[in-house]
Amino acid sequence: MRKRKITGLVIGLAVVLLIMIIVSFVPVTAAPPLKQLPLKKEVIKIGGQGIFSGPNAICGRSMMEGARLAIEEINAKGGILGSKIEFKYMDCELKPAVGIKNARYLVGEWGADFLIGHDSSGVLMAVGGVMPELKKILIGTHAATANYNERLVYREKNKYCFRTASPTYQDATIFAKVFAKKFPEVKRWASINCDYEFGYVNLALFKRAMKELIPDVEFVAETWAPFWTMDFTPQISAVMAAKPQGIYTSPWGGEGVQLARQALIMGVFEDPNVKLYINCTGETSDFLMGMSNEIAKDKFHGKLWVTGRYVLTQNDLPINKHFVKTYAEKYAMYPFHCTEGAYSAIYLIKKVLEKSRTLDVEAVIKAMEGMKWDTPSGEKWIRPEDHQAVYPVPIGRPVMDPDYPLMPVVKDLHWVPVKEYYRWPPFEPSIDEIVKAELKR
Amino acid sequence: MDTIVYQGLTGLTAAMFLWLVSAGLTIAFGVCGILNIAHGVLYMFGGYFLFTFYQLLGLNFWLSILLTLISVGLIGLVMELGFLRPIYKEPIGIQLVLTFAFVWIFDDLAKLAWGPVSKIVAMPRFFEGFIRIVGRPFPIYSVFIIGTGIAMAVFIWLLLDKTWWGKSIRASALDREMASALGINIRTLFSGAFVFAAAIAALGGALSVPLRVVGPGIGGAIIVQAFVVTVIGGLGNLKGAFVGALIVGVVGAFCTLYIPVFEMFIIYIIMAVVLLIRPQGIFGEIR
Repeated sequence: MRKRKITGLVIGLAVVLLIMIIVSFVPVTAAPPLKQLPLKKEVIKIGGQGIFSGPNAICGRSMMEGARLAIEEINAKGGILGSKIEFKYMDCELKPAVGIKNARYLVGEWGADFLIGHDSSGVLMAVGGVMPELKKILIGTHAATANYNERLVYREKNKYCFRTASPTYQDATIFAKVFAKKFPEVKRWASINCDYEFGYVNLALFKRAMKELIPDVEFVAETWAPFWTMDFTPQISAVMAAKPQGIYTSPWGGEGVQLARQALIMGVFEDPNVKLYINCTGETSDFLMGMSNEIAKDKFHGKLWVTGRYVLTQNDLPINKHFVKTYAEKYAMYPFHCTEGAYSAIYLIKKVLEKSRTLDVEAVIKAMEGMKWDTPSGEKWIRPEDHQAVYPVPIGRPVMDPDYPLMPVVKDLHWVPVKEYYRWPPFEPSIDEIVKAELKR
Repeated sequence: MDTIVYQGLTGLTAAMFLWLVSAGLTIAFGVCGILNIAHGVLYMFGGYFLFTFYQLLGLNFWLSILLTLISVGLIGLVMELGFLRPIYKEPIGIQLVLTFAFVWIFDDLAKLAWGPVSKIVAMPRFFEGFIRIVGRPFPIYSVFIIGTGIAMAVFIWLLLDKTWWGKSIRASALDREMASALGINIRTLFSGAFVFAAAIAALGGALSVPLRVVGPGIGGAIIVQAFVVTVIGGLGNLKGAFVGALIVGVVGAFCTLYIPVFEMFIIYIIMAVVLLIRPQGIFGEIR
């Protein structure tokens, strides 16, 4: 009995010794003490919000995928100055109140250092409005109302709001600039627009620009559609009754698909009077994939023109090729502007933190103003006065291209220098004044 | 005049989808006494199942519709047997809370099953194209929708008015106890009525997807309009539901044409006026 006890003890000690020897060979890299990390945090937390359900659910999902892609790349190379990035996303459900609630949770409870995202202009404005209280930076990556940069940042001096995606100047003025030169004979325009801020601002800017370039332009019908419109046939019917030559539309994502499908079914593109149909954000993957059969069969007869906040065919830069290839391999589709906006935002945060070497929000804001950084869209510049990224994106027509087998892409690109279609400080007259002057609302 | 006729037909097409959802809602309330907020998700499932059978599995369009009605009917049966039957006699607040919970549950189930991105169904070949009405192209599919909506109205009227089952339904709606005393199996009848209501909503959803898209949340969007229709027409009254759908669809279409600024809330103004003047609805009865 005593012998057995001693034997057991010896065996036990031998096992413990063996484990210690094995463990001693395992290289242990102790985490650097926090004080050695320039940012004084092991993990930088970035919270994202988007739409994750309904006809525009692809926008939130793409934001998440774009952010994750950038974060994986950055973390694989050691993070930002040794600090890894952690990302958490939430569904704002297209509701400003939910967006604010989520923002408070992400910052107050989860501990986000930055917030990004937002697909709805209404939610972006609401969340942007509480950032001075939360004292964290919000980077808009999709929602496009110009009031975000012009009113919130420039006029109300809300320094916490930034945006990496182009605003509504991209959806409206650039079309007027191109079509006034290319199709000056198209003078009767009608519109089917979103019955909320995005739609009001777009149409107002488009009308204003067209009137400046073609003084005898006529706007013969204006129709509106709120969120969750499933049936645009009354709007299409009303617009076609006015016999337009051009139709400007702003419903986006799944609603844009429905509108275009119903317009096809109602013979809009067969009408010889109709020369141009604009989907101002038709570069999105859900629109292009949703319309891929019709595009392949040329059902739009070259009348459909689109743009977005990023067109994947707009350049051959290595960063863009890498972005498109990596995303396509992972998700079996091509990225679009929601993806690129988030991807750019993460890399903006990286570059800014590498410059500021602190998470102090005042210092980061200062470093972000005027920052230039490389993105798949090309170089973007954060305009200091309104924290808006400035960069050109072309308009074009969707086609099938054998170089891009997964879905249609935008080709026949037409460019306009940003100086000619972006609005610049002091942003006079204001967007609200233009909307009031131009719209029958 | 041409514009009025064409816009009216466009509104009529939209009205038929509303009618199909409202008819089911009306039957569920009129017979079973259930105010089913989740009725819109049955419409949504109709769209999803048609997408699955017709677009994904490549089955015949008509067979896909039949399978869709059966599938959603079964979902309705499970809902009725498992969750609604125990609360028939409960206050309406309990019904609202339970059926509202179904909206969120079913929306998330749909996201899990089909993903969050909206689905598109190709227009069947035999419905492609349009006919000329007042010189303008009017989709053949819209003609089919109008015809189906009217046909369903006639079918439901014949079913409820001329068949034993329909008479039992109407008797039970009027006086459950007396109907039960006369030997009618109320439980089986209610289950059948709810399944029928679910199938009608599913038909609306299935027929909508070649024209629209289907995605999470569309049930919530249509149920709001369906409730407006039933309030205008009279809760529990099928004739009222049909007329209410016509009013909402056609007036909405004309508002889009002539006063687009009011298009979003005109139907709510109409509902408010009806509630003020005749709270039981145009064809409803005071209970």
